[in-house]
Amino acid sequence: MKTAILLENVTKAYKGKRAVDGLSLSVEAGTVLALLGPNGAGKTTTISMILGLQQPTSGTVKLLGGDPRDPRIKSRIGAMLQDVSVIDNLKVGETIDLFRSYYAHPLPLEQLLLISGLESAKDKMATSLSGGQQRRLGFALAAASDPEILFLDEPTVGMDVTSRQLFWDTIRAMAARGKTVVLTTHYLEEADSLADRILVINQGKIIADGTPSEIKANATGRVISFTAGASVTTESLLSLPGVADLEWNGRRVKLYSGDTDRLIRVLIESRVDMRDIEIQSGGLEDAFQSLVQNAAVS
Amino acid sequence: MNTTMKATMAQCNAELLRTVRNRRFVFFSVIMPVAFFFIFSSTAGNDVKVDNVDWVPYYLMSMTVYGVVGASLTSFAQRLSRERAQGWVRLLRLTPLPSWSYVLSKLVAQGIINLLIILVVFMAGGIGKHIDLPASVWLESGLWIWIGGFSFMALGSLIGSMRNPDAVQLLALIVYMSLSIVGGLWFPTSSMSGALQTISKFTPTYRLGQGAWNLIGGGSIDWNGLLILAAYVLVFMVISAYIMKKQEAV
Repeated sequence: MKTAILLENVTKAYKGKRAVDGLSLSVEAGTVLALLGPNGAGKTTTISMILGLQQPTSGTVKLLGGDPRDPRIKSRIGAMLQDVSVIDNLKVGETIDLFRSYYAHPLPLEQLLLISGLESAKDKMATSLSGGQQRRLGFALAAASDPEILFLDEPTVGMDVTSRQLFWDTIRAMAARGKTVVLTTHYLEEADSLADRILVINQGKIIADGTPSEIKANATGRVISFTAGASVTTESLLSLPGVADLEWNGRRVKLYSGDTDRLIRVLIESRVDMRDIEIQSGGLEDAFQSLVQNAAVS
Repeated sequence: MNTTMKATMAQCNAELLRTVRNRRFVFFSVIMPVAFFFIFSSTAGNDVKVDNVDWVPYYLMSMTVYGVVGASLTSFAQRLSRERAQGWVRLLRLTPLPSWSYVLSKLVAQGIINLLIILVVFMAGGIGKHIDLPASVWLESGLWIWIGGFSFMALGSLIGSMRNPDAVQLLALIVYMSLSIVGGLWFPTSSMSGALQTISKFTPTYRLGQGAWNLIGGGSIDWNGLLILAAYVLVFMVISAYIMKKQEAV
């Protein structure tokens, strides 16, 4: 397989603080890669460096085997950034056509309108579109070059459920055609259902890397939840061995733990006032939570 | 190379569309100069002279300059700041479009826009008020305003380098109005106080107007004025390049 993206020991520091810290990564062509992490984890900075918008403080970045700033490389990629990229006083169709003119072999306008679900909005002013529609226009622009690698920074923020569904279908179709897709997301469901490979980033470092099922299996994201009696406090629960973190929802409490089997024994032995006990092996969301929390503790 | 040419033309075409659809542009650069011209050329008699030049053609030149300056300060500056605020410029950096093509398309589009303004205002005034000037003087003064008009693109890009489009709109309007008034485009500088006249001589608007007034009064090309305009271009470009570089660094 060909390597689409290669990062070697990449660091980006702002005023002494490391947004990205010694990150190495190799992505094979044809992969759908999701970068997952809390706000400020370094996802956007990483993407910006892969795209050549920012230069790493140290380390090397190779995109399609070359320098991301090389126009020949740029003509083979497409990107949707977090900014809403519409231009004033141009219609949707005109905006897409303008973008198509930048490439030697663009996709046809009709196809771009179709995959972004904007056929009926073609003659509307781009600035008059709703937030979700503007995001979809951004996607049409990213796809205009029929790119080998598509970068999507938080693509579905602001999209409604239907838009998101259409969007996911489009990404899957592109992946099926052998395109490489790199996306950052807050929606774990999105990463879970789209990606072949998930990279969990926190504080500028990779803390987990694998397929969605590997991430779920390896992570210590197990949860015990119960309705707590009046005597139960945050302090008393956190003092128990094996409680990584907890979350209240009314009197309902969720305990995150690496070993729920041991924790349930501890809870019972400590005579904690509990009703309606549930033990979950954890979805990706819980896996993600516990990964980020464990990384923060260690 | 073929793709780049095609992209430059498409880019240029988009600029023209955006400008013509901008109501501010139509108002400040076309309607207002023509209306002002007819109002203030009618209130004064036909034989009034300013600095030994007939008032009616004098004021036509003033208003043409006013329209051209407005196109750069209100609509061009606004287009720039909108592009920057909305992340468009950032997105363009990810495309193979070379930056020279982006700059060239802006220059060409502004050149076409300014030329159209000059033609429209000249025709409205020339025909509407039967201004009788030799063809060579029409051509020379038109060319003077057209070429000198590019210097206001530099000022427009300086104002447009600010990120907040609302602030840009307000600032552009303030700069536009004060430069037009102090530069003697609304009322001739000879009607101003001595101190204001001295200040006026240093404004780029006065310099652009002066070159045209001079030509219709039978004078030759004002090289001094051209030099001052060129100096302004240099200063505006250096400052805006500095600001943009600072913003990139973040």
